[in-house]
Amino acid sequence: MTCDAPAPAAAPERTEWRSHGPRRRSTRALRVRTSAVLVAATVLAVLLVPPLVQLDQQAVDLAAKLRPPSWAHPFGTDDVGRDLLLRCVYGLRVSLLVGVAAALTATVVGTAVGAAAGALGGWADRALMRVVDTFSSVPHLLLGIFIVAMFRPGVWPVVISVALTHWLSTARIVRAEVLSLRSRPYIDAAVSGGASRWRVTVRHLLPAVLPQAALAAVLMVPHAMWHESALSFLGLGLPTHTASLGTLIQTARGSLLAGQWWPTLFPGLFLIVPTLAIAGLAGAWRERINPRHRSELML
Amino acid sequence: MLELRSITAGYARNAPVVRDVSLTVASGESVGLLGPSGCGKSTLARVAALLHRPDSGTLLLDGEPVRRWRHRAPREKRTAFGVVFQQARLSADPRLALTDLIAEPLRATGRGAEVPGRIAELAPTVGLTPDLLTRRPHEVSDGQLQRACLARALALRPRLLVCDEMTAMLDASTAAALVAAVEDYRAATGAALLAVGHDRALLGRWCDRTVQWDSLA
Amino acid sequence: MDSMPPVLSVRGLSVRFLMPGGRRVAAVTDARFDVAPGECLALIGESGCGKSVLASALLGLLPGNAQTAGSALLGDLDLLTAGERTLARTVRGRLIGLVPQSPAAHLTPVRTVRSQLEETVATLTTTRGRAALRAAAEAAAERAAFPADHLDRHPHQLSGGLAQRAATALALVGDAPLLLADEPTTGLDRDLVDRTADELRRHVDDPGEGGRGRALLMITHDLAAAERIADRVAVMYAGRIVELADAAAFFGSPGPRHPYSRGLLQALPDRAFTPIPGMPPELGDLPAGCAFAARCDRATDTCATEPPPGTVACHHPHVPEDVRA
Repeated sequence: MTCDAPAPAAAPERTEWRSHGPRRRSTRALRVRTSAVLVAATVLAVLLVPPLVQLDQQAVDLAAKLRPPSWAHPFGTDDVGRDLLLRCVYGLRVSLLVGVAAALTATVVGTAVGAAAGALGGWADRALMRVVDTFSSVPHLLLGIFIVAMFRPGVWPVVISVALTHWLSTARIVRAEVLSLRSRPYIDAAVSGGASRWRVTVRHLLPAVLPQAALAAVLMVPHAMWHESALSFLGLGLPTHTASLGTLIQTARGSLLAGQWWPTLFPGLFLIVPTLAIAGLAGAWRERINPRHRSELML
Repeated sequence: MLELRSITAGYARNAPVVRDVSLTVASGESVGLLGPSGCGKSTLARVAALLHRPDSGTLLLDGEPVRRWRHRAPREKRTAFGVVFQQARLSADPRLALTDLIAEPLRATGRGAEVPGRIAELAPTVGLTPDLLTRRPHEVSDGQLQRACLARALALRPRLLVCDEMTAMLDASTAAALVAAVEDYRAATGAALLAVGHDRALLGRWCDRTVQWDSLA
Repeated sequence: MDSMPPVLSVRGLSVRFLMPGGRRVAAVTDARFDVAPGECLALIGESGCGKSVLASALLGLLPGNAQTAGSALLGDLDLLTAGERTLARTVRGRLIGLVPQSPAAHLTPVRTVRSQLEETVATLTTTRGRAALRAAAEAAAERAAFPADHLDRHPHQLSGGLAQRAATALALVGDAPLLLADEPTTGLDRDLVDRTADELRRHVDDPGEGGRGRALLMITHDLAAAERIADRVAVMYAGRIVELADAAAFFGSPGPRHPYSRGLLQALPDRAFTPIPGMPPELGDLPAGCAFAARCDRATDTCATEPPPGTVACHHPHVPEDVRA
C-alpha cells in the first residue's frame, strides 16, 4: 500500500476542478459597488447641479415657507420658503469642499511632520512628537473653536481649524510606519548603496507610507465634514446665509420643535449617506493595501 | 583591509549583543564567520558594513579608523561594502522592479547614466533573465529575488562583500549558484568577503578560512 | 514495507490559481503519494515549486481564487471536498497537527506558553477542570521536551529552539494521526535543525494510543534535515512530484534517479557544490512535456512529451546498477 507501486495514470484527460474560497465575496462587492455609486452621485450632484440647474438657492418665497415635501419641493421648504433640495445640494457642496480641503491640508502637514520625525529620529523626533502630544491634549472642538474665533466667519478659517486639529493622527500613523520600515534590511541596503538620508526618506520610506496616509486622508473627509457641521451648528463656522449642512441643521432647530421634521432630516441624511459611502470605499481600499490581503497567489 | 578591534555593539543601552569582538579581513581574503543563530553575528556584520554604530571599539578600513556610521559615513567608504542579507523579501523595496532594485545604488550615487550597461553585465552574472528584470519582488521567487539583491550589492563594484546568511532560506541549487556568482566576482576583482552563517559545510567549502564566533571575544 | 493502510492517501491532487486577466497558474499538478503510520515523508523542493500550496490544500487554507482537483483521503474523509466546518471541527488539530514554519509567529505573543497549551487542551480534548488542564498541559509540554520551568514564559522570552518545541507541543495536543510540518527548520542553525528533526522523528516513532505511530509529512528545502528524518522523499519540481524514493537509497546508494534530484544533491556544499544551470520555469507558463528539460543534460526530443507516470517522472532516468526496473 505504499507509493512504490506505480499507480495507473488516473485519467488526467479531463480534470474536474473545484472552487473553494469564501462565499461572502458577493456581499462585499455589493457593498463596494453601492458605496462607489453613492460617492459618484454625491460628487456629480455637487459639481453639476449648480451650473446646470438655473435655480436660485436663495430665492425666498415667504408665501410657501415650511411646506412639507411635495412634488414642487421634494424636500420641502425652509422657514423663508427656500427649496430645501437645492439648499441641501449647495450645502453639501460647501461641506464637501471644506472636508476635502481640510483633509488634504491635514494629511500633507501630518505626513511631513510624521515622516520627518520618523526619518530623523533622536531629538528631532522627540521634539516633534512633543508638539503632537501637546496639540492632542487639548480637546479638538475646543481648539477648533479657538482657531475659528480668531478669524472672521468664512470657509477658510473653518478649513484651517479642522486641518490644524486633525493632522495629529496622520502624523502618528506615518511616524510609526516610518519607524517600522526604517529597520528593514532594504533601508540598510540603500544606505550601503550610498543613498543620502533625503533619498532614503523620499524614495524608500515615503512611498511606502503614502497608501496609509492617503487612506487616512479619505477617512478624514467625512470626519472633517462633521467637524465643520459642528462648528457651524454652534454658530462659529460659516455665516448662516452660506448654506452648509451644518448651518442648515442649525437654522432648522426651531422648526424641529414645532414638529417640522424635514428641514433637519434631509440635511442630516446628506451628511450621513456620503459619510457611510466614503467609509465603505475606504474600507475596501484598506483591505486591498493590507499586505496580508494583497498576496492572492501564495507561492 | 578591514579590521575590527574589540567591538561592543547592541540595540539597547547596557545590553550589548556583541561583546568585545575582534576580527580581521585581509585584502582579497574570504573569511567565514560561524556562529549559532541569535549570537550577534548579524549585528557584527552590520557594524562591519558601517550600518550600525558600535558602542565601543575601533573599526579600521585600509588602516584608517572609521568614526562615522550609516548616513554620516562618507559615501565612498559606505559603498566600499556590498551587503546581502538573509531574507531577500525584506531586503527589497517592494515597489521597485528588479531592474530598478539593482540600479538603485548607481542612481543614488549619481551614476544613472551607467545603469543600462551595468544591468546588462550584472544580470547574466547572477543568472537573471531579461523577462524577470521588469517584474516586481512579489512576482518572483525568493531565489530570484536574492539573485537581484546580490546584483544590487555588486552594482558599485565593492571591495568587500558582506554576506549575512545569504543562502539560509534558499534551496541547494540556488545557494550554489549564488556562491558561484560571488566567487566569480571576487576572482575578477580581487574583492574580499566576509560570509556570516551557521552552516559549517557551506562556509568551509566557500571561504579561505572560517572562524568560530566563540573564539573571537 | 508492511501493508498498514496509509494515514493520508493523495491521488491526482492538482491546485491552480485563477489570476486576474484569465491567467492560470498550475501550482500543483497531479500529486500522488501515501504516508503510512510511523513513517515520515519529506516533500523537498525549492521555494515556489508548489510545496506550500500543497500543504495549504491539505489544510483547506487555499485563497479564494484557487481550484483543486483529485483527492486527499485522510481515513474516509476527502480533505479537498470537506467543508470548512468539518475542517475546523474535526480535521485541524484533531486529525492533522501542524508544526509551523516560524513558531515565534505561530504563538500568541501576549500569553504564556502554559495558557496557550491549556486552551488548546481544553479545545481539542475532553479534559475539564483547572487541575486536570494544568496537568494535561504539562504532559503535553513534556512530550515535546519543552522544559516545565519555561511554561510561564511568553513566546518572546524563548529561544528559537524552545519556541519550536512549544509549537510542536501544541501540534501534538490533539494526538492527530498525521503531523504536517511546514519548513520546520527554516532559520535554525545546524545543531537546532538536527535536534528539531530528531524530536519530530521521535514523535513519528512514538506508538501513541493507536500503537502504530504517527505519520509525518514534512515540507522542506533543507536536504540535510530531510536526510536525517525521512523514510521516503518526494521531490517536487515546477508543481509536480518528479521522484518518489526511499530516503536511504536517495541520499546514499544508488542515489536519486531523476536528473533534477541528482542536480539538487550535487549542489550541496559537501558534495560537488555545483548549481543546476538555469532557473525553474514559471508555474503560470509551464512548457509542454517535462518542465525540467530546458535545464537537463539528458534531455532529448522525447522530453517535449509528458513524462511517464510512476515513481520517477522522467524519460531518461538514471538507471541504478542493481536491478530494480
